[in-house]
Amino acid sequence: MTGFFRQVADYTQNAISAGKYLLQGLAVTFDHMGRRPITVQYPYEKLIPSERYRGRIHYEFDKCIACEVCVRVCPINLPVVDWVMNKETKKKELRNYSIDFGVCIFCGNCVEYCPTNCLSMTEEYELASFDRHSLNFDNVALGRLPTSVTTDPSVKPLRELGYLPQGIMDPHEVPNKDPRAGKLPAEVLDWMKQESSKEGEIASISNTKEEVN
Amino acid sequence: MNTGLDLELSFNNLLQGFGISSEISHILWLPLPMLLVLSSALIGVLVTVWLERKVSAAAQQRIGPEYAGALGVLQPMADGLKLLVKEDVIPAKADGLLFTLGPILVLIPVILSWLIVPFGQNLLISNVGIGIFLWIALSSIQPIGLLMSGYASNNKYSLLGGLRAAAQSISYEIPLALSVLAVVMMSNSLSTIDIVNQQNSFGFLSWNIWRQPVGFVIFWICALAECERLPFDLPEAEEELVAGYQTEYAGMKFALFYLGSYINLVLSALLVSVLYLGGWGFPFPVEWIANLLGQNVDTPLVQVFTGSIGIVMTIIKTYLLVFLAILLRWTTPRVRIDQLLDLGWKFLLPISLVNLLFTAALKLAFPIAFGG
Amino acid sequence: MNIASSTEQICFLILGSVVILGALGVVLLKNIVYSAFLLGGVFMGVAGLYLLLNASFVAAAQVLVYVGAVNVLILFAIMLVNKKEELKQIKGLRTRKVLSGLVCTGLLFLLLRVDLTTNWNLPGPSAIGELSTERIGEHLFTDYLLPFEVASVLLLMAMIGAIVLARRDVLNTDIATGDSVDQNLIEKSNDPILLEQSSN
Repeated sequence: MTGFFRQVADYTQNAISAGKYLLQGLAVTFDHMGRRPITVQYPYEKLIPSERYRGRIHYEFDKCIACEVCVRVCPINLPVVDWVMNKETKKKELRNYSIDFGVCIFCGNCVEYCPTNCLSMTEEYELASFDRHSLNFDNVALGRLPTSVTTDPSVKPLRELGYLPQGIMDPHEVPNKDPRAGKLPAEVLDWMKQESSKEGEIASISNTKEEVN
Repeated sequence: MNTGLDLELSFNNLLQGFGISSEISHILWLPLPMLLVLSSALIGVLVTVWLERKVSAAAQQRIGPEYAGALGVLQPMADGLKLLVKEDVIPAKADGLLFTLGPILVLIPVILSWLIVPFGQNLLISNVGIGIFLWIALSSIQPIGLLMSGYASNNKYSLLGGLRAAAQSISYEIPLALSVLAVVMMSNSLSTIDIVNQQNSFGFLSWNIWRQPVGFVIFWICALAECERLPFDLPEAEEELVAGYQTEYAGMKFALFYLGSYINLVLSALLVSVLYLGGWGFPFPVEWIANLLGQNVDTPLVQVFTGSIGIVMTIIKTYLLVFLAILLRWTTPRVRIDQLLDLGWKFLLPISLVNLLFTAALKLAFPIAFGG
Repeated sequence: MNIASSTEQICFLILGSVVILGALGVVLLKNIVYSAFLLGGVFMGVAGLYLLLNASFVAAAQVLVYVGAVNVLILFAIMLVNKKEELKQIKGLRTRKVLSGLVCTGLLFLLLRVDLTTNWNLPGPSAIGELSTERIGEHLFTDYLLPFEVASVLLLMAMIGAIVLARRDVLNTDIATGDSVDQNLIEKSNDPILLEQSSN
């Protein structure tokens, strides 16, 4: 009989704790309702892509020497370099260059290895089209510069979380001038230079001390 | 007990003032409350859909619908319009007749149940004697429509969804009816009007939720299960069953299901507020306030005032419960079908039986507090 | 004749035809699912007739019990065993049909005779309307207490019997390891209630 009552008591306890946890969960959900929305209203607001964003590849026809390094470093040999050898000048003559962005994985190897820096990454990521063949960009299409989010008048550019001033979470009302948290790469370089010069001094001092000893 | 506003009587008196016989004025009166309730049910659904989308968005730190009207209030209208003009597809191997009849059979009982929802002393379509029992009986028709559409779709997901919906609906109806019975036992009447009147003698202190806390919880759980709301939305569990019995539906027929489920949600919330939260009652008795202000309760102005306060109170309580349902939707994970049936048969049913027994004992022991 | 009584008559005619046609459909239709759905329609029609007789509680109970429970269970059973199978030819089907037809017509004539010979006093006792709920409750707990309880015990027996029959004492075992593969998901570990306990 006591076993039965213990079972009933355990059951009641379980039911009560289940109710308690349910209420805790409800409290968490309710708490979330008061929080600020974290979404970006996309076609009207856009996040500013980060530095080194690997978007659509930009290509400068005039700089290219048709060396085909980009083809060799590409994981799938994607860029198509259409050149002919000019017998008279004994030089390559470039006729066409194209990359199919329906196949490209934006790994950036071609940009990395291009000897003349004629390839570069842009911040353009809106490549959707109705026909996948229109993703095959030729040298003219590759040479177009994308509209920057910050200069597009129909778009409100928003800074990503990592680029906001320290302690600020909402990108909406931040003035453009406010610096981001942390240092810019150039500042980091300056700081490193200073540090190394300081360290050099310390090192030289300690060296002289050792010599004295 | 004051009689409150009697719109029918004044309407009839007005028409008879124009020299129209009482029979014809009665016939003219008949469609008016029906239209009123139908439109209020539809508006209630629109508000609920909007609320659901907005609250869901807030709970997930989104914004939700924003561009259709101010704060997206017209979004449900746009949704409805879209469904209205969509192509009405009947699958080639489906059973056309049953396929069409299914959603209608789901919707009609839900709308019919609005007959007994009171917004005030005389503000309901018909004060039938069987009151709340009518709702229980009508809501038991729904699974037939669900089975019908599940079968007629000629699709295994639909059939499974329909079977699940019917199983869920009939197993949660029993604890639901038992917890209603406990309330009915205290108020000595099945009529929703009497149930509300019995709760409103001392303001919010005399609401049934204090006398029937267990019944309130059971009723709410069962109502969520009957509405197929999360955590009990197994019949349309999209990860397992695509969309359950709604899988093959499109256009207006899908809209009927959609409408039915939301009307059912609003109706359940309304009935919870009627059964346990004092219906149209103001947290403090209106008579006290009227006496405080030195007004006679029977003057027309006070009558209109109390009537509108009653409607507002009912709506506030209802939408608080709808809000709770939406919060629960984003808090609780879906239960498995065996857990669902376990909960219904092994937990809610015995507890509601014990609750009923306990209520009967308390009624015999303390007839003043628990209805003589 | 005023509006109320003519409406009542029209309603009666509609409901009566619904009930009769529906019942014929239940019997005559080949598709068993259609028959089951039509049965629900017949029950609803009967509930409507009760409403016409001012017995709203009985009507609601009819809907709750017959439509909401009985008919749903019938549909459930049909849909769970939704197999298309050829029925075996029954020997002497024709004589069986004739015999059952004779029994049914006999019953019909019996009912007709009862209907025609009984001296119905018109109008009958006045309907008590809303009070009927209380009256039914009083009768159930005083005059008809014994039949009521006997019926409930019968239902309880049927339920226990169904549970005992439907309960499967199968514990699946893994062929390779011999362990139980029952993952305690749906069928909990069943201790056999029929065999072992009787031998103890």
